[in-house]
Amino acid sequence: MTPALSLRLNALGLFAINAVLLFAFADQFLLNDLPCPLCILQRAAFVVAGFGLALNLRFGPRPSHYAVMIIGAFAGATIAGRQILIHIVPGTGSYGGALLGLHFYSWAFVIFMLIVLGTAVMLWFDGQFAGGEDAAKRLTGLSLAAFVLFTLLALGNGVSTVLECAGGLCPDNPTDYLLLR
Amino acid sequence: MMSIPFFFVVAALAAAWSGYRQASVVLCAAGLLTLLVLFRLHATDTLGLAL
Repeated sequence: MTPALSLRLNALGLFAINAVLLFAFADQFLLNDLPCPLCILQRAAFVVAGFGLALNLRFGPRPSHYAVMIIGAFAGATIAGRQILIHIVPGTGSYGGALLGLHFYSWAFVIFMLIVLGTAVMLWFDGQFAGGEDAAKRLTGLSLAAFVLFTLLALGNGVSTVLECAGGLCPDNPTDYLLLR
Repeated sequence: MMSIPFFFVVAALAAAWSGYRQASVVLCAAGLLTLLVLFRLHATDTLGLAL
């Protein structure tokens, strides 16, 4: 795999994480489905995992950048896994909507696992690391769009969380934005 | 407080944009650490499971 192909795949991967964060925002703002504390932490884990991709786009592919992705996805899977276990016994309720029969936290777990798997597949190809610093001297085109959108979504999630939870820990079952009351 | 991990990563992205790779990785690590601490603060109940 050439460094250029690796960068294109990393840009597509970052767009995929952007799509997850956009979907979460759409559910939050269009359906007024406020994220619970564990949901917010899962979003933050997606942002950490996506940051590994952003590092690859900015500085060129490196194993350490992929490590950031795996660690972020592992943290996210741990959080999503706990939320699944909270609701896994029938009759113990659930939180938020469902898509294709799975609640969003179950989808989050699946996607975190796919990130780990996809990262491992990318690490298989040593050729991408041959370019070194020259691989990505500056962000252009697809990489730039993915990087900027990702930054805006990370910032938007931070602002949204401040509005919902103010300066403290978020309520377990949020019904409105604390700072917009 | 729960927004801190997001703002750490935004700061990390700004550092990366400016070319400061080492600083961006440190900022991201701080965001991840905050994320884990916040998870610990929320995961207080024992799960009703027999594993």
